[in-house]
Amino acid sequence: MNQWLERIKNEWAQAWTVAVKDVRVYYLRPGMIMFGFLMPFFMFFSFSVKRELGAAEGVARLLALTVFFTAGATGPFIIPTERRMGTYDRLLAAPMSLLTLLLGKTAVGAFFAIAVSSVALLAGLLFFQTTIIQPGLLAAGILLGAFSFSTLGLVFGSIPTTNPGDVQMPSTLLRWGLLFISGVFIPLSEMSPVARTIAYFSPLTYAQDVMNHAVLGRGLINPWLDLAVLLLSGVLFLWPSIKMHQRARVLGR
Amino acid sequence: MNNAIEVENLTKYYDKFLAVDHINFTVKQGEIFGFLGPNGAGKTTTQRMLTTLLTPSEGTIRIFGRDLRSESWAVKRQIGLVPEESNVYPELTAWDNLMFTASIYRVPHGERAKHAQELLETFGLWEKRAVKTENFSKGMRRRLSIAMAIIHKPSLLFLDEPTPGLDAQSIHSIWELIRRMNAEGTTIFLSTHQIEEANQLCGRVAIISHGKIAAIDTPERLKANFRRAQSVEVAFEGEVAEKSPGLESLPGVTTQSKVGDKMRLYTEDPSALLPRLIQYAESQSLRIVSLNMLGPSLEDVFLEITGGQMGVVGNESQEGKPARRGMGGSK
Repeated sequence: MNQWLERIKNEWAQAWTVAVKDVRVYYLRPGMIMFGFLMPFFMFFSFSVKRELGAAEGVARLLALTVFFTAGATGPFIIPTERRMGTYDRLLAAPMSLLTLLLGKTAVGAFFAIAVSSVALLAGLLFFQTTIIQPGLLAAGILLGAFSFSTLGLVFGSIPTTNPGDVQMPSTLLRWGLLFISGVFIPLSEMSPVARTIAYFSPLTYAQDVMNHAVLGRGLINPWLDLAVLLLSGVLFLWPSIKMHQRARVLGR
Repeated sequence: MNNAIEVENLTKYYDKFLAVDHINFTVKQGEIFGFLGPNGAGKTTTQRMLTTLLTPSEGTIRIFGRDLRSESWAVKRQIGLVPEESNVYPELTAWDNLMFTASIYRVPHGERAKHAQELLETFGLWEKRAVKTENFSKGMRRRLSIAMAIIHKPSLLFLDEPTPGLDAQSIHSIWELIRRMNAEGTTIFLSTHQIEEANQLCGRVAIISHGKIAAIDTPERLKANFRRAQSVEVAFEGEVAEKSPGLESLPGVTTQSKVGDKMRLYTEDPSALLPRLIQYAESQSLRIVSLNMLGPSLEDVFLEITGGQMGVVGNESQEGKPARRGMGGSK
């Protein structure tokens, strides 16, 4: 029992070490700033300016966008970059499980998303005098959304390539697609039944809904269900990443 | 003596391409084992399988008696890996690179700084500990990369081509370090295509060619088995032609080559060739400036094996199997 506790303690510390190292090494890289920091704000202003949008609705949308885009930007950038530099081999050869390594990488995206969405939240509170109706729910939504979207980004990062561009483009395309079907720009309540059914398959739908609950005080789905789906989807996205890493070991890539 | 590495029928296919073909060998604890082969022979593929980075298609690997597939976590704690490319983080300082690796390998907190300082001093990087490694030379990055691989004091160290592209001083300091680590008990698996490196460092070498182990033995025994690669080197006063029909037609000479201002004549019996050579010089009115008998170099052995020529190869060949003689090819 003690041996297992020691192992879990070690794995936890290793995941943390990986995350802290990545924060120091990659957060200020142009690829991260472009795809992780500027992109959500760019998307927000592109689709929200000159549209009749209340301040609170704008803040809820911006929060969902920043969590979604920022969390998902790290995996497709960091892992191929590390593969190219050869540093990823050092991590794979280290005495830690693959899951530990992936959780460390997930934390990097999640921390980034939490930091950038905090900037968005601060801007909303300072410049638009927005009131947060349910701060606890907002915190849980940001946390679980960051986890879910970071593991989604990891799926693309796990594609065995040494060129970040190979996976950043398809990853961005998928995220753009999800953006338009997930009730971010068109509220769920205004969607057709078919579109709404499709929207329920996107985790972003639940992230946007939980932001609506927290900021506006209203949403279409039970907030507990929103949080549960974000948690579950985050766990599920780890599975293809693990499989792709195992496959890469077989293929030698 | 116990084995550090035991490899049985290790095989790797990349799709249908057979990169490593049912190889068998053992590495004893405490030895420096050289893994020689030309580019594309299967060296790196084998090493990646031995370090868990690649899944074998067939075969078993045991490291210190543990099965690599089922006990990889325990094995990983005992091994260190220096890959071909120096994989340091350029954005971090030398010190931070070492601290990161120490943390990943769970070196006890109280020992990390001590180990890091020792290694940086050993590698001559202590003064540069606070400098980001993006400002390091290739040799400095290489030394740091090795330091990172041994900060947890592994019992078995894998080195993949540790010295290509480095200046002579860096090469010798790395060789010295490898010898010192080995003297302190670390088993070394050295994958290289630098023949002289293997010759200088290794107690035994395996030569891999086309995915198969073509020979395993001590460098000296491998050389001794290559009688054909013995030679006589002669320098005459004045210019010597690239090819001299007179020299090549001397009895016993199998081939000749020009080496700088000297001619090297390959023969199975150098002592019989000497008087004929002197006689030849007298008949041609040539003055001999120098005359040396040379044994085969490990490079000769390597070229014979990997070039697919006939030869007597090693006493162990695939371990546990009869020695391979008169291969007629390296497959």
